[in-house]
Parts: sequence; structure tokens; C-alpha cells
Amino acid sequence: MVQAVLRAEDEVRDNVELRADGELLEKTVALVDGTAPLIHVVAANEAAWRAGIQLGMAQTQAQLCGVEIRRRSPGLEKAAHAALLDLGWSMSPRVEDHAEDTILADLAGLNSLFGAEENIAREFARRAAELNLRVRVAVSANLEVAVHAARGFAGITVIPEGEEARYLSGLPVQTLAPSAEALETLERWGIRTCAALGALPMQELSERLGQEGVRLQELARGAHARSLVLAEPPEILEEEMELDDAVGDLEPLAFVLGRLLDQVCARLATRALSAAAIRVRFDLGDAFEKEEQVRGKNPVTVATAAAKTYEKVLNLPVPMRDSKMLLKLLRLQLQADPPPGAIVKITLGADPARPRSTQHGLFVPNSPDPEKLELTVARLAKLVGGANIGSPELTDTHRPGEFRMNKFFAQPNETRARGKAGKKFASGGEAVARRPATGCRIFRPRLAARVELREGRPAKICFRGLYGRVVTASGPWRISGDWWREDAWQQEEWDLEIAFEGGGASVPVNVPGNVHAIGPVPDAKACARAGLYCVYYDGACRSWFVRGTYD
Amino acid sequence: MYTELHARSAFSFLEGASLPEELAERCAERGMAAMALLDRDGVYGAPRFYLAAKKISMRAHIGAEVTSAEGWRFPLLVETRAGYQNLCQLITRMKLRARKGEGQVSYEEVGGKAAGLICLTGGKEGPLAHALGRGGVESGTTCVRQLGEIFGRDNVYVELQRHFDRAEEARNHAAVEIARKLGLPLLATNGVCYAQPERREVLDVFTCLRHHRTLETAGRLLGRNSERYLKSPEEMTRLFADLPEAIAHTQLVSARLQFDLQDLGYEFPRYPVPDGKSQAYFLRERTMEGMIHRYGFQNEKARAQIEKELGMIERLGLEGYFLIVWDIIRFCRERNILVQGRGSAANSAVCYALRITAVDPVGMDLLFERFLSEERGEWPDIDLDLPSGDQRESAIQYVYERYGKLGAAMTANVITYRGKSAAREIGKALSFNSETLDRLTSLVSAWEYKSENDTLARHFKDAGLDLQHPQIRKFLELCVQFQDLPRHLGQHSGGMVVCQGQLDSVVPLEPATMPGRVVVQWDKEDCADMGIVKVDLLGLGMMAVLEESLEIIRDNYGEEIDLGRLPADDPVVYETLRRADTVGMFQIESRAQMSCLPRLRPVHFYDIVVQVAIIRPGPIVGKMVNPYLKRRQGREPATCLHPSLEPVLARTLGVPLFQEQLLRMAMIAAGFTGGEAEELRRAMGFKRSEKRMKDIEQKLRRGMEKKGITGEVQDTIVQSITSFALYGFPESHAASFALLAYASAYLKCHYLAAFTAAMLNNQPMGFYSPATLVKDAQRHGLRIRPIDVTCSDWLCKIEKQGEELSVRLGMRYVRGLRAEIAEEIVRERNARAFGSLDDLKLRVPAIRKVELTALAEIGALNFIGGGRGSHRRDALWQVERAARSAGPLLEKYDQEEHVVGEQGAADTTAIVNSPLQQMTPEERLVADFRGTGMTVGPHPMKYHRASMKRQGVLTASELNRLPDGTHVRVAGGVIARQRPGTAKGFVFLSIEDETGIANAIVTPRVFEEHHVTIVHQQFLLIEGQLQHQDNVVSVKVESVEPLSITRAETTSHDFH
Repeated sequence: MVQAVLRAEDEVRDNVELRADGELLEKTVALVDGTAPLIHVVAANEAAWRAGIQLGMAQTQAQLCGVEIRRRSPGLEKAAHAALLDLGWSMSPRVEDHAEDTILADLAGLNSLFGAEENIAREFARRAAELNLRVRVAVSANLEVAVHAARGFAGITVIPEGEEARYLSGLPVQTLAPSAEALETLERWGIRTCAALGALPMQELSERLGQEGVRLQELARGAHARSLVLAEPPEILEEEMELDDAVGDLEPLAFVLGRLLDQVCARLATRALSAAAIRVRFDLGDAFEKEEQVRGKNPVTVATAAAKTYEKVLNLPVPMRDSKMLLKLLRLQLQADPPPGAIVKITLGADPARPRSTQHGLFVPNSPDPEKLELTVARLAKLVGGANIGSPELTDTHRPGEFRMNKFFAQPNETRARGKAGKKFASGGEAVARRPATGCRIFRPRLAARVELREGRPAKICFRGLYGRVVTASGPWRISGDWWREDAWQQEEWDLEIAFEGGGASVPVNVPGNVHAIGPVPDAKACARAGLYCVYYDGACRSWFVRGTYD
Repeated sequence: MYTELHARSAFSFLEGASLPEELAERCAERGMAAMALLDRDGVYGAPRFYLAAKKISMRAHIGAEVTSAEGWRFPLLVETRAGYQNLCQLITRMKLRARKGEGQVSYEEVGGKAAGLICLTGGKEGPLAHALGRGGVESGTTCVRQLGEIFGRDNVYVELQRHFDRAEEARNHAAVEIARKLGLPLLATNGVCYAQPERREVLDVFTCLRHHRTLETAGRLLGRNSERYLKSPEEMTRLFADLPEAIAHTQLVSARLQFDLQDLGYEFPRYPVPDGKSQAYFLRERTMEGMIHRYGFQNEKARAQIEKELGMIERLGLEGYFLIVWDIIRFCRERNILVQGRGSAANSAVCYALRITAVDPVGMDLLFERFLSEERGEWPDIDLDLPSGDQRESAIQYVYERYGKLGAAMTANVITYRGKSAAREIGKALSFNSETLDRLTSLVSAWEYKSENDTLARHFKDAGLDLQHPQIRKFLELCVQFQDLPRHLGQHSGGMVVCQGQLDSVVPLEPATMPGRVVVQWDKEDCADMGIVKVDLLGLGMMAVLEESLEIIRDNYGEEIDLGRLPADDPVVYETLRRADTVGMFQIESRAQMSCLPRLRPVHFYDIVVQVAIIRPGPIVGKMVNPYLKRRQGREPATCLHPSLEPVLARTLGVPLFQEQLLRMAMIAAGFTGGEAEELRRAMGFKRSEKRMKDIEQKLRRGMEKKGITGEVQDTIVQSITSFALYGFPESHAASFALLAYASAYLKCHYLAAFTAAMLNNQPMGFYSPATLVKDAQRHGLRIRPIDVTCSDWLCKIEKQGEELSVRLGMRYVRGLRAEIAEEIVRERNARAFGSLDDLKLRVPAIRKVELTALAEIGALNFIGGGRGSHRRDALWQVERAARSAGPLLEKYDQEEHVVGEQGAADTTAIVNSPLQQMTPEERLVADFRGTGMTVGPHPMKYHRASMKRQGVLTASELNRLPDGTHVRVAGGVIARQRPGTAKGFVFLSIEDETGIANAIVTPRVFEEHHVTIVHQQFLLIEGQLQHQDNVVSVKVESVEPLSITRAETTSHDFH
């Protein structure tokens, strides 16, 4: 059986961005990666190495070497790898995904189509060139030999059967990818080439390097045999449907989605899997047409239009396979956040996962069914917005009112345990001492206010159309933080007892109206009701706000 | 008027962000007449605070926050000396029983030491806040009542702090209620942690370091706001407008605090003299005995000097001090430990007579006042040099034993944040990843010289970091603020303090990291400032080398050398010095010294004294070097600044070179007394103040005018005194060092093998790496033999073959080999020679594979079992098998097989031949440097000499024969790089080839151009103009290129 190995020429050309820009291949190019403030060189082409580029060099230093700097893109590299695989599959159905930059293909039966091995190799190279990939192609009956030849020799190498050892003899032992420890030992021994390694007495080598030594020697002699590990096309649990007419309403869309979900769930069922997430991509017709109008028949238009998609990901609390339930969830999500235009194509995929397996205890109270709970949460999210539902958690900061929303999960056992701990805690003296004297209802969002100061203390206040006179003021309470970040903040809080003009409500949340300038202060007697408020001056935006009201 | 009575400095280690001096300064700026420093569990910053306050006529109250067993802290203020002693003892007790940096006290312990202390109820970390948090007002009342019982009702103040924090204000309400209920006074403080509000950022970073968090994850551990700064009395009065009595009480408390650090009550121990004699009498007896030994009976000059010194010693009551130092010297001599006093003690004839020092101050006409004067009112400073290592430790332990655990302690060494340490810590707090951290810290330049462009900002830019990035900007700002802030307390290498009574009453003691060591909370400068006598027992590598050399000479040459009786004017030594052939010699081996020696051309011992002192910042900055050398060579007349100064300057040809000369100049020209002159030196010292310098300068000028010295001459004298006093080297110190320099030169010239072995056994020390020392010795004809497990010991040793002596390298140079394994190898080998490598592995079972590999790779296993013809790769081949465990099943079989082999079967030849190729010379070179950091084989350059010749590259020795101005090319391995602060950005390179060392001078322009090559490349090819003047040869570099001649990792000793 004859195998061919295709290996991308080097790391830089592995990058699709560069493949797309043919001219760059002829230039000195370095790829950089990292996050600011540290961006450094992660790869470069031969010309760039010659220009003095070194791995790990900072971007600005690399620029001084006069090379073209390109940002590394893992996504594009992945695409290059996929292109390499596609290239393999375009010629042979039996392909091994050997490494990021290397694939193996079985050439059995290709002679009748392309002729001799050399012709097949050339065909590989030609097709690769069409994809703007420069590849090394090595053909050998022994697939490991082919791999090593592709690592060691540029261009096309066809190794006749029986000549493997001779071909490999001059290659450095690093080509065989030994472990770091073995490589260090070989280096100490002065064993640098495959020929030298192949010449060592096998038994004595095995006494010293163990099984790895034997394997490496077999590799060096071109005698290590193994079979191809076939790459399977990715687990595509994806269904797509192009629509004859663009659909703008949710109802007909739900019908199509339902069908697609049925198909996906059926496929999941055949594999005894469930979905951990559902991904939907909508190709938007409006956007496409708009682009067409603007750019006419320019080929760029197609790419641009193709990018006009709208995606939704439905992350599930537990793996599910109930297409009806999934459709409900998807509908709720789309209702809360509908696509911006009419849809011409739907691609629906599922992330496969093992189904949930739970064992209920006899004495454990029933907890809500996760699927139903998720549905309820989704309905609420539709009402209040996705970012406003979940389990709030205070963040560890001095910044008042800071919290984050965690996804809501019902964990009955944990809840019970926490309840017990809570009781225990409550009985402790510390807890009693720390119990807040009063509650504070926070306005979200904060209310803008205008405050008049007298001797540095708030005297009058106006917010949401209410005017008030400060009866008593306690403060200021100064807080500041995050000074190392761009969004450093500082606030000066006051606890105010405010008497409102005209007997306004003490909790003015529902009072509509704009903020007005402070008017004449009403007589104290006219203030039928007063309230306790937390008001603060935000040093960053130099404005006053009402944070909340005390019970 | 308000007085701040609760402030922490950066000596609260990570809980305060300003130095005590900054707090004192700020306090004065804000118009406060007094302030109290309460650092956490110590009085670490008290001396600096006290001295800074004294300078600005401010009162410095002392106290501490002492950690209780419950975790909160007693804020204690010292009212009286008894209170201070109680506080010191309390802290000592808690510290000595806990691990370093920890410790706590119980109520009972505090109760026992409460006299003379005032207790505050504290802020957030205090007892009251803790009690309120635990059980509200009721618990708080009990707590305050309890404090009243311990300290007395009059000595407890209910403390109020206002940092604009609700929870704190709630506590304040409770505190006021409790104070009213118990009838106790209120006291306002600000719980200060930093001098200015901006320093809150530093404190936040410290908080992160303390809790091992980053700023992003520290959350509410960080400060709520920036209010813990030192507020002005007006601000505090406004803050406590509702409680004016709390402000008023600060004044009352301040008035009560009568103690200050002037009143320490320190007393130096009395030496136990026999038979009821007085200390003065006993000292006189010992001194006179010594005088006869040193000077004989007839030396009247010496007798008069000694009488004068003894008189002063008695007047100052220092007999005990001299006797104690004499006692340490006696202990060392009895145990054959080399010891020599250095520093200004060498100016004293009494010290010379007591054999504390080895320099004759009478013969050399040294100035006693530099050592001791009545005006100064300070303790003298005697530094003793001892061989570094165990012998110095035994001297230290002797002092501990003699004066008891609470009577003697080491001085502390305050480790402060410097460039790299600050950058690393700040980077961590800012969440930089380790890669970024490495990169950032590597950017902090370590060269001594910094050019104008050599700023952190520029380095950051060069490294590709965006200075506009907020985090990088903040990083830079913080790096600057962190400089010099204390990081932790270390132990000084040799400074010891002793005390007559309990040392723990004078300063708190702490356990040091080293077991059995106790350290005081002050560093040696603080101790000196507080008038505590210290004796420095310093470890000096060269003393160890000399001592070991003498031992080796005794054992291998059969000669007994007495360093005190070396031939004074050995011609070989001086000839060697004149050739600047001084690699390895004490103090005269550096590149700068080498380039000066041929010009100075030493002929007598005093020339070496000058040589030691001349290459120092003082003479260089004061531009004294060239005039002196020109006069020495007769190119310039040896005129004097003024005829009256001739007796002082004559022996240095009219050029002032030593500190003593400057003091004498002031004494002669301006009529200063000895003490005033020493005062002048100190005024010019490191902590110089403009005002003090101006005063002294005026005094100098007035004095000179009285003596008729005016105009230009006066200006020149003033100029030379003021510019030189800071960096000048004391003549006595130079003389002590010159003795060691001469001794090392003598031993190197006459006992090269012994000296080399001793040098190699005491590394790291000196200017050059072991690789350079080995090459130098080889060039001088000494054979250095490689490491060989069949004959090498752990240390290097001498081997004799017929008459020829050679040095056998010791296994200490095998990288990665543990000392205990080497010693086991030696033990087993001495019992019975190793038959084979398997035999070695079997008899030294603890040896690891990496250790065997390291030995094999450097050829140390080649001769096992007398294995001739085997090479390093044979050993490596066999090591892989020997080191691979046979597994439990076959282990027994393996051992049996080995025993059979050992008893006479085919396996007796140690290393079997392998299928591997012998190492090439280059591979051996790489292996040698990788495994030992050196090679005993040819220098790497030797392998390339032919091709070098073809390229017109000269050897280092060939340069000596070429005339000045020749355009040359030279190449070699860089062994030293220097960019001294005094050299205006010039870089000096020492380049070694197989014939010797060539010196190269790189101008700032060339350095800028070839920065990376010069700093990072191991081998260089240099082209430039030869400078050959007065037998000093160097190449002024015009171009530099890297040379790829070997992969061996040679090292350079770079001085940054």
C-alpha cells in the first residue's frame, strides 16, 4: 500500500490569511500573537528568520527588522488545516489527520486515475497550489517513512520500496519526534542522524532507552509499520434548509425550525446522544440584497453578503433531546431577540453530549424538572431580557451595588444544605451583630439628581420631578477603587432625610417626569411625608445620583 | 492643636506605605510639633523616625501595635523609659517563641509589662472594634474596662478614627457611649498608613502581596478610600468638630509621653577581668605586652601614641569594648582562625598592639582621630575580617555563648525594594503573566552607569510595550514609588551588638532565619545612630583562601608560612605587580587595577596601599588619579597645594588620596581639631545636608583665612576636601587590604598550585570566574587535572608527580552533583577502588542518573577500574544501562551478575567499549562547560587560531608587542563586562584567548550601535585602534561582531 504525506511548508504559510494574500508569500513575514501589552513573534518564514527575527521577540523589535507583521489567527489556522484535509479527501477517501500541518492519504487505486506515484504527488501539489497552500509531498509504502520524509525534504519525494533506510539516513533524529528525554540522551551520545541511530545494536539500545529506543530505531531504519488511522469527517449534527421565499415572521419560521430540530434529535437518538447546545445560523436575505444593489456583480459582494448572518446559541442546563421542548426554548429566545431581517437559509446544529442520567433518592424531595425550569426561565427572559434573569451574586468590591448575574440552576440538595448552614450561621453572635439595621432599596438604573450644597453639605435635592429639602444629612462616606484601571471610580455618599414638597410619595419610583431645577423650598409643614435616601456624588462624571431609599 | 498619635510607617512591612522620614517631614510641613509612630510588632522604623524628627526639631513619640492572641492589636504608646523597656521585652518574648514574622501576646503577658505604656483602643484592627463586632456595646465596654484594669484607668484612651466610613462611624458612636459610661477620655487619631493620599495605591499593592492576591482579585481587602494619609491639624479639627475634646486630648497625651530614643539606657558589657583588677588596668597590661611584641622596648614614638590613645580610651570609658574585641581575637588565634581588623581601627596603635589589626599606624603615621575622638561622642567601629564560612560562624557563636542569648544579637539588614524586586511584585499584583513579568523585570537596567536615554520608559518602549496602556503606565509609576521601601528584615552578614544588661530592653530581638541566630530590629546604621556598639565579624573570601593556602602548603610543600612574617619586598611579587599579572590577587585584579599597575609601577608596600585606594570613586571623581600617576612617572612636578600641607601630602606626591589626608588638611590649614575634622567627613557623607555642608565650608574658610590661606589656594583646598570626602578611602583600610593583597600576590607567585586550589575551593569570590582562574594558572605553567572519580575529592587538591605539583579539580565543580554523594564516592573509593561503573552504582546507591550522566559527560568516569582507552561516550553508554532499574524481578539477578563480574569475570574492566563515536574536541568543550563551567583542555580560541590568523586576528599576547595607534583585530571570549558609574557611559570588556586577556574600551556611541552584540554574545571579534601607553595595552573599539566558534556556554562576570 502506498501512502502520501502532505505537509504545509511552514507555519507562516499555514495561515489562511497569508494564503489569501499571495504576494505576502514572497515577502519576509512574521506572525505575532499575545495580548497587549505583550505581543510577540510566534512564527516567521525563512526570509524573516534570515532578517534577524527570533521567536518571542516583541512586535516593535520585529518591526525594526523590517519584516511584514501579521497577527496570528487561530481561526484562520484552523481553516488552513481544514483546507489541507479537504485536499486529502479530494483525492483519496482514506486520509489520516496526523498533525495540524500534516495529513496522510492512502493512494491505493489512484494509479488508474493519475498514473505513477510521482504523478499523484504532483497532482496533490497542483491542487494545493490552487488553494494557495505550498506543500511538501512524500510518497512511500511505509507511512511513517513518508511522514519523516515530508518533514525532512522539501518538494516532492517518492521513495521506492526497500530504499527507505537510505533515504532517511541523513535526516536528523529530531525528525523522528523523540521524547525530550530520549533526544537529550541521543544528543549526549552524539547520535544525530537516522543512520547513526539505525546502526546502534538494538538489544543494547533497548536496555538503555527501553521501548522508545526500539521504536525510534525502527523509525530511523524505515521499518516501523503501522496502519493508517482514518480521519472521520467531523461529527456533523447539522441540518440546513434554504427557503424559497424569505421568511420574516416567527410563526412560519418556527415550523421550519421544528422540522430541523426533529431531524437533529432523531440523529442524536440513533447515536444515543442528547444536545448540550443548539446553534442556529440564519442567512439574512435583506442584507444580501442590499449588498447586491450597492456593489453589483463585484465578487467581493458575495463574501460580504455571506457574512450577513445572524446566529443564536441555546445553551442548555442539561443535555436534552426533546425536539418540542427545544423548539419552545428556541422560540422564546427568538421572540426576546428576533433576527434583524428576513431569513433565506437556516443552519441548525447540535453539540452532542451524553444524556443526563440521574438517580432520585426515595426521601429526596422532588426538585423542579430542569427542562420545565429552563422553559420558565426562558419565558421570564423574554419578558425582562436575558441579562436580567438569573441568580444575582454580589461581587467582591467596594463599588456599591455591584453584582453579577449567574445562570439560574435549581440545585435542591445544595439548597437544603445551605439552608442548614444558614440557620447555624444565624444562631452565631457575629451574625446577629452584623444583621443590617435597615434595608435599602436600590434604584436600578440610578436616578440622576440635582443637589444644592450649603457649607459643603446637601441642602436641597431634586430628582424625578420631586423637590425636597434635606432635613438631616449624614456623610459623606467616601469610597473609591479600581485606580489601576481606566474605569477608576470615586463616590461620596450621603444618607439624607428628605422632606418633599407638596406631600409627594416617599418612594418616588413610579413618579414620572423629568429632572427640573430646584424650585422654592416648601414650608416644612407642607411636607406631608419625608423619606430616607442614599444619594451620592460620582467623582468620575461629576454628577449627583440617588442610589436608593431606606426602609 | 492636634498631634497624630497613631501612624504606621513602611516598617510595618506591607501595612504602611511611607518611610518614617517621609512621615516626619510631612508632619512638620503640616505644622505638627510631635507625632507617634506605632509600627506592627516592632520599633523597626523608630531610629530613623527619631533622627528625622530631631533634625526638624519635632518630637518623635515611639510605640507599637502589638498583636494579641485573638488577632487584633494593642496600640501602645511609650510614656517612660521603663515603658520602652517593657515594650521591647514584650515584643522580644512574642517574637522569639514564634516563627519569623509571626507571634502574639496574651492579656496576661501584656499585664506584666504594662507599666510606662499608654494603651489606645485602636481603629479597625484594635481591641474595641473587635469586641464591638463580637458582642456590641456590652462586649466593647467589658473590653475597655479590661484594658483599664491592665494599664490603669489613666492610661487608656478611647480612640476615634474617621475615614468617612459608615461602619467605622457606627463604631465611633459606640466608643463615645462607652467612654462616657466609663468616664474615660476620647482621643482622635487618623490611623495613618501613608504620608500622602496618592500612596494609597502602594498600600493596596502591599495588601495584595500580603494576601497573595492580585488587584483584580483582592476585592474588599483593598482600602475603601485614600483617607489614611497624614492629615493636618486643621483637617482633623474639622473632622472632629463635634468632639473637640478628642482633639484636645492628643496634646495632653503628647505632653505625657516623655520618653525619646536618646534615653535608651544602653550600656556596653564590662569585660570580666581577673583578680579584681580594673578594666583600664587590664587593658593597659595587655596593650603594653603587645607593644613590646610589636615595637620592642625602645620605640618612644609608639609608646607616646599608645599612652595618648589609652588616655582617651579611659576618658571615654571604652576599655570594656577594646577588651571584648581583644577577647574575640584571642579566641580566633587560639583556634588558628585567621583574623584581621580593618577599617579605621587600623589607625589605632592600641589595636595594633592588641593584634586586632596588622597595620602599624605609628610606622605609617596614620591619623588616630579618624578612629576615635572625644568630640564625636560615638563608639568606635572595629570591623574584623574572618575567613568566610564555618570559622566565621564559630567566632559568632563564641560571642553568643559569652554574652548570652539576650546579651548579644546580630544587627538586621533591611531589605528594600529595588528595581527588579519592585517590578516583579508590582507586576504580580497587576496580574501580568509570568512571561510578561520576566520580560518587564529584565528591562530594569542593572548597569551601574545609566545614560540619559537609559530610562525605564525607554526600555519599555524598546521592548515593544505600549506606554499609553494604563496598566503599563501605572506599573511604571508604582515602580518609582516602591524604590527604597522596606520589604523585609534580613540578617546582617556579620554585625553583632552586645549589651551589658538585657539587650531586649534596648531593642526588640527576633529569631533569624538561620537556626540559633537572634537579630535585633535595627540595622547597623540605626544601631550606630542610637549609640549601640557593634562589632562586625565579616566573612572575607580571601581570608579563607589565604588560610586554606597555608594549610595546603603545610601539607604538600612541607613549609610553614606565617603571613605576619612574609618577606617585605619580594622582587618577584613586585615584578609581577608591575606586569599587571594579577588575576586572583585580592583587590588588585580588576581590569581597572590592571590598567593602573603598569603606570604606578609598585616598588614598596606603600605603593600597594596607594594602588588599593586609587581605583575608587573618590580619586576618580576628584580627578586625582592622573595627576598622581604623572607625578609618579616624573612627568609632572610633585608640588603641594600649600607649603603647610607638605607633611601631609608628601608621601602621595602632593595629591590627596586618602580620607585621613583630607582630615589632616582641615586640621593644618583651617585649624580643625581631630574631632571637628571627623565631623567634617561625616557631614560630607552619604546623608549630606546642604545647610550642614555650607556651615562647614564657611568654618573651613574662616579657619584658613586665620592661617593666611586665601584666594585660589583656599578655593582649591575647599574644593578638594568637599568633592573628595564622600568617596575617599581611609588609608588605614587601604593598608589592611594592601596586606591581604600582598599576601595573596606572594602566595600566587611562590605557591601557585596551593593558591589556585584554595581559590577554586572558595568560589564564588573575586573578579574572575573559575574558568578564567584555571586558564590563568595554566598559562603560568600549572597543570590542572580534570575531575576523575577515582582520585578527585569534593574540593580541589594538590597532586604530586615526582617534583611536579598539579591541581586536581574537585567534584564540587560537577554541576548537579550533591556534596553528600561526592563524599560517599570518596569514602567508598578509599575503602576499595571501584571495579566498574556498576560497582559504583551499587556501592553509592543514592546516586541519581543525572549525577552519573553529569560525571560521565565530563569524563570523570573514564578511569574507573583503570579503564584506559575508554572515552566519555563509553561511560555515557554504560551509565544509561547502569542507571536503569532492572525492576524487582531481575534486581537480584543483576546484583549477582555484578558480583560475579567483580570477582574476576570479564566485567572487571570498568567501562566497556560502546558503539558510540568518541566526542570531538568541540563536543568535549561543550560538555566541559555544560558540566563544570570550565575546561582544563585548550581554550576554545585555540581550535580556531589558524583561521583567525588568516583573518588577521591577533592574539592577546601579540598586542603587547605592537606600538600605540596600530589598527588591530582581536578576538576571544568575553570574561568581564563593566559599565562603571564613573566612566560616562564607556564600557570595558575583558576578552580572553589562549594567550591571555585583552582589554577593550567601547565608547558610548559604539555601545549604542552594537548594544545587543556586546551584551549578549559570548565571543567577539573586535576591531579598533591599539592604545599602548606606559605598558598598558587596550583596544579602542571601532567595530564589533559576534564570533560563532563554539556552542560551549562560557560565562562572563558582568558588573552592573
